[in-house]
Amino acid sequence: MAEALPDLGPNLDPRVFDSEAFQRDPFPVYKQLRDHHPVFHDRFHNRWILSRYWDVDAAFQDNGSFDRAMYKPDGPYDFGSRHVFGPNILEYGNSDEHRRLRNIVAGQFVGQKLNDFLPMIDRISQEVIERFIDDGEVEIVSQFSSQVPIRVISNMLGLPREDEDTFVGWYQDLIAGLGFGGEYLARGLKARNDMWDYIDPMIAERRTNPGEDLLSRICTAELAGGRMSVEEVKGFVALLLAAGGDTTDKAIANMWYHMMYTRPDQFADVRDEPALWENVFTEMMRYDPVVHAQFRYTTREVAMHGEVIPERAGVILYLGAGNRDERAFKDPDVFDIHRDDLHMGRENRSGRYKDGKNGHLGFGIGQHFCMGYAMARQESAIACTMLARGLKNVRPKFAEHDGIIAPSIDSGGFRAPRELWLEFDR
Amino acid sequence: MSKTVTVDRDKCYMSGECYYNHPELFRMDEDGYPVVLVGKIEDAALEQHAREAAEVCPAAAIRLS
Ligand code: HEM
Ligand code: SF4
Repeated sequence: MAEALPDLGPNLDPRVFDSEAFQRDPFPVYKQLRDHHPVFHDRFHNRWILSRYWDVDAAFQDNGSFDRAMYKPDGPYDFGSRHVFGPNILEYGNSDEHRRLRNIVAGQFVGQKLNDFLPMIDRISQEVIERFIDDGEVEIVSQFSSQVPIRVISNMLGLPREDEDTFVGWYQDLIAGLGFGGEYLARGLKARNDMWDYIDPMIAERRTNPGEDLLSRICTAELAGGRMSVEEVKGFVALLLAAGGDTTDKAIANMWYHMMYTRPDQFADVRDEPALWENVFTEMMRYDPVVHAQFRYTTREVAMHGEVIPERAGVILYLGAGNRDERAFKDPDVFDIHRDDLHMGRENRSGRYKDGKNGHLGFGIGQHFCMGYAMARQESAIACTMLARGLKNVRPKFAEHDGIIAPSIDSGGFRAPRELWLEFDR
Repeated sequence: MSKTVTVDRDKCYMSGECYYNHPELFRMDEDGYPVVLVGKIEDAALEQHAREAAEVCPAAAIRLS
């Protein structure tokens, strides 16, 4: 569960953000920020930091002041780096172009279109489980969570099943490249290029001869008469691997970590009532979400809490800190899947709910609110339910665990356990 | 002929799709509901926005008449 956080007082040395201790347990520093520096000017990294729930919410909502793309005085946007994904939705800031790209594809991941894919998620989870069901033990991260979402995406796209393992290999290289950089990055970019070469002729084929798969739908989806260009389709597929695959991968691992180590008592409830996996998902996305930080640039001066953030400043929004704000949630440092002050059902882009409860900030809010929110929730819940059902008397293999960590919280590094070993009866 | 957009608050669940996609026509109020910014829609482009919003609203809460 949770011990009371140490009170670090007002003195904050910004070099702490680069420390291993912070990547492991950022929450005491988050509390220090919320309590003593609701607007923190980090001169060492040349950026500003917001950490309270309502301030992070307000910044996400305020398109007039906070933009995701780098603001340029002499032109609307300096497009973000496209060297990894190619042209993609992440680089268009708050522009109309962003809305266009988003709306061409957003509908594919919600409602009936999403429902069409759910039986396949069941099937894939089952197939992956069968590979280790006779072993009596499993390392979740490498054998399950990093396997299911990427195979789901491959099948959604309608790639031939015999190519699935190759696709998983590209995924692993690309993700390692994003996470570790250096020589890994070179390999990651090669994997991306191989994938693009592979997918290029398929795009041409499905544009003229579309089926029911996601790739066909993306290729042919129209908005006000416009379609995505071939380059945009390729960029979107590459992005999908990271934004849709790696995130859900980590979500599943985190959910199991919390059920095995943080609240084993509540795991009993979840076993009895698998529908509660959705609560596990929601509370995980609050308590220690996969993504803790998003970056924005100010497009004008912003005055808050007696400070003035200048125009064209870089601002970090700590969703991970807002989620632990005692101003929004009582006993915020307790992980509890039965929490009555958190909106437990599906998220809204507005962050506002009819039940009057506050939502988690783990998908962001507003114009850039996660496009895969419904899919991530369903897929995580299904995969976890199938695994819990498949593994008899499942328990942690080791009594101790070194916890959840991110490669780099501030550059958006995804948080997860490195390894998670389970044992079960054969 | 001018047209009017109305939002059924009972149906609306604050998905936000209308006001994030069509800021020229809607904005969010304090509670998360959309406020319609233009009473009488005369302009063809705005009418197109209204039609799209009504089509896409996941709660079927937007009407254009
Ligand atoms: C648990 C899993 C997931 C987490 C934690 C997550 C997290 C996030 C966050 C925090 C953002 C906001 C970015 C910002 O404010 O700038 C975002 C945006 C996005 N997510 Fe997710 N995501 C997840 C799953 C998915 C899935 C399954 C998809 C697949 C469709 C996806 C696609 C996207 C896209 C395309 C955006 C950019 C949206 C835009 O800029 O309009 N995500 N996600
Ligand atoms: S799109 Fe529909 S449900 Fe969503 S906020 Fe607007 S009116 Fe409400």
